[in-house]
Amino acid sequence: MENTIKVERAILNITQDELAKRIGVSRQTINSIEANRYVPSTVLALKLSEVFGKPVNDFFKLSADD
Amino acid sequence: MKTEKFIERERKSFNKMLNFRLPYLFKIVGVIVFIIALLLLIFRSQFGGELLMLKNIARQGIVIGLLFISLSRDKEEDEMTIHLRARSYAFAFVVGVLYALTMPYVEYGVANVIKPESTAFKNLGEFQLLSFMLLVQVMFYNVLKRFR
Repeated sequence: MENTIKVERAILNITQDELAKRIGVSRQTINSIEANRYVPSTVLALKLSEVFGKPVNDFFKLSADD
Repeated sequence: MKTEKFIERERKSFNKMLNFRLPYLFKIVGVIVFIIALLLLIFRSQFGGELLMLKNIARQGIVIGLLFISLSRDKEEDEMTIHLRARSYAFAFVVGVLYALTMPYVEYGVANVIKPESTAFKNLGEFQLLSFMLLVQVMFYNVLKRFR
């Protein structure tokens, strides 16, 4: 799974810490998701979608090995 | 209908049990209990009295302290820490089983080399196994958290 959360965050001009607080997780979790080390749950993905104002498919993409 | 309600209630109570966590304060309590029990185990001869009883109390203190540390919440608890904790329990379980299977032979072999005349094969005690598994879980969880 690949994602463009870093780009979406840059568009909104918010830090990892701010995004983490908005969706109720730790900053390290945001960092791990951005680095593709952790695939979030559907609940967390939908919370991100709410913050970015875009459907989940816009910033999460399946990679070749998925 | 009644059966469905019963199954739903069972499922809820089962999930509640699986998601059980102690408050963060218990982590600090666990560390204190663990350190005191460890010191008691090391310096028990200094305290005098019933040595075997002191040894047992210290061993139980170590296991209880580690259990408190293992079961308590983090300051920042989220779905990733829950995921990492589950992985650390799975890892500790497998390592614990391997430890229980191999350690008696290792101990027997080492004892045979050092003191061949008085060597008897013995299995692991519950304290050795439980403290090892809890220690592995706590350490592995913290390593996973650091590398997340």
